[in-house]
Amino acid sequence: MSVAIMKTKAELALAEQFQSALPALPGGPEVAKVRQQAIATFGELGLPHRRIEDWKYTDLRTAFKDPAPPSAGDAAKLTVGDLIVALGPYMDLDAPRIVFVNGHYRRPLSNLAGAEAVIVSPLSEKFERLTPAQSDAVTSLNTAFVTDGAVITIPAGVTLEKPLLIVSLTAGKDARLSTVRHQIDAGADARATLVELFITLPGSSPDQQTNTLTTLTAGDRASITHVKAASDGGRATHLSNWIVALGAGTLYRGFQMTSGLALVRNEIAALYRGEHAKLDISGVFLGRSNDHIDTTLTVDHAVPHCESRELFAGVLDGRARGIFQGKIIVRPDAQKTDGKQMARAMMLSPDAEFDSKPELEIYADDVVCGHGSTVAEIDEDLLFYCQARGIPADEARAMLVESFIGEAIERVEHEGLRHCLMQTATAWLNALPA
Amino acid sequence: MLEIKNLHVKIAAEDKPILKGINLVVPNGEVHAIMGPNGSGKSTLAYVLAGRSDYEVTEGDILWNNESILGMAPDVRAAKGVFLAFQYPMEIPGVAGLTFLRTAANAVRKKRGQAEYTTPEFMKVVRERAAKLNIDIEMLKRPVNVGFSGGEKKRSEILQMAMLEPTLCVLDETDSGLDIDALRIVSDGVNALRGPDRSMVVITHYQRLLDYIVPDKVHVLAHGVIRKTGDKELAKQLETTGYAEFEGKAA
Repeated sequence: MSVAIMKTKAELALAEQFQSALPALPGGPEVAKVRQQAIATFGELGLPHRRIEDWKYTDLRTAFKDPAPPSAGDAAKLTVGDLIVALGPYMDLDAPRIVFVNGHYRRPLSNLAGAEAVIVSPLSEKFERLTPAQSDAVTSLNTAFVTDGAVITIPAGVTLEKPLLIVSLTAGKDARLSTVRHQIDAGADARATLVELFITLPGSSPDQQTNTLTTLTAGDRASITHVKAASDGGRATHLSNWIVALGAGTLYRGFQMTSGLALVRNEIAALYRGEHAKLDISGVFLGRSNDHIDTTLTVDHAVPHCESRELFAGVLDGRARGIFQGKIIVRPDAQKTDGKQMARAMMLSPDAEFDSKPELEIYADDVVCGHGSTVAEIDEDLLFYCQARGIPADEARAMLVESFIGEAIERVEHEGLRHCLMQTATAWLNALPA
Repeated sequence: MLEIKNLHVKIAAEDKPILKGINLVVPNGEVHAIMGPNGSGKSTLAYVLAGRSDYEVTEGDILWNNESILGMAPDVRAAKGVFLAFQYPMEIPGVAGLTFLRTAANAVRKKRGQAEYTTPEFMKVVRERAAKLNIDIEMLKRPVNVGFSGGEKKRSEILQMAMLEPTLCVLDETDSGLDIDALRIVSDGVNALRGPDRSMVVITHYQRLLDYIVPDKVHVLAHGVIRKTGDKELAKQLETTGYAEFEGKAA
């Protein structure tokens, strides 16, 4: 017996919101058609729920109840001063930046000095065509609602000296759904560091919602560092997808930090297209009160002789829940694959929860693959040792948690960026209830 | 001056008493050795002095400079000058040795009303004191004690002691796991800290350490009480007779 699943209030609201938003969404009739197809796909799939294996721990049917109306434009009038406050330590990087507010490009806040060697433009200015990225519900919503994003081309052989910041600010008294899509195309032998920042301005609604999708293609022998930091959103919802494809001999270092957001799904899909490529995808997730942070990663070793490394570290307080799903696929031809994965959580409260699900799907026979997962509390013996050296308990605790987080942050090579990430982590730790 | 008065201690989670009425006075400037068979309560005494919460004082008191320290957290005791050199120093992955030393030194300096070290001041002091203990500064850039040999860990403890400038040093089996050269370096480090304003409690199972760190008094701890007190000759005598005399139950 099959029973038709009733649409949830949120699913119905999203369909309605799409119809009323469509006329104002950028792009011509061709783009509108793609959007309509995407919302139809979403209509068939509905919000992902726990009976879908990949969404076992994150049931959006129950967790995502109130979709905010899509952001129609930049309601909040932000100044460069507001931006400086929002960027905090990232200002010290003195880095070029492209800035979006509630999903819309803001030229006056952007400054691309120092990034002349690369081509950076807002998606809204070249919206001739739109392609659905994947066929799942969340990226379908992204295709339906996307308003803007950064389109970045790093020509072959070009080295970008400074990190390029791709800043998405959410602001305003009312909760809005911001939908962005970034497309990064790095040519052969290109070298660059790209940093996606998601920040909610102080005094804004704590219920902002973001759906973000980044596609990144790295040409042969390219060396790319790709960082995402999402922080300080209060009760915000953050649905994120990274789709990464690596050419032969590339070196890709991805890093994601999540802190101070209530409902988060970070999906990462990496595919090797050429041999002898190396990737490191690591991250830190910091959860408190009822935060729910899900990292779901798929690394697809489709070709031989590639290396993958993952290290995720989470700190969970209150009733927070952290999830790590890490799938490594080694295709039949992908001999000599070398893959290592590790997920660690430090629990600061007995009510916090960490679910770790490593999945190795290995179809080749000459490979080295390993994974591990640990859950720990602060070591009381270490705490006493620090205290016996005069360090007060709260300071010692913070030092031990910072060292735990620091191990993952060490994976980021750029010292200035490491410093920014550590500062965000420290601020989050200092704001924890005693 | 350290005064331990009729100290009774048990493990917090259990009922079994470990220390059963310790009385001990260590005047300023003196070094007292505490010897005894395994399981006599020596390490418990060291931990209780430092303020470890796994132990519960059921009776008696510990006075340091005429003030009871029993209600004080370990870091407050450290600021008052109490230092415990651990028998098994802990490894702290992810925290660089220099960061740890500086955080610790400045935490106690702040509480003592002294100016915190600036980076150049700190580096100068730490270089000097590390050199005396034959510790390579590069070693201190690595995480605290991670991958150190037994001897390196003990020297690292004595460097921490030198940096924190305590007035009551409690050394718990500092000689265990040391070869003769390391023992000499560690002992020289400890002796350099001897002075009229510093009291020391040296806990050891073997007399060997006391050839290098010569005590003013030697106490024998067995079954949770001090059974005998003498001068350094008592340690030598124990070396030949062993602890057999104290193996029986206390009267």
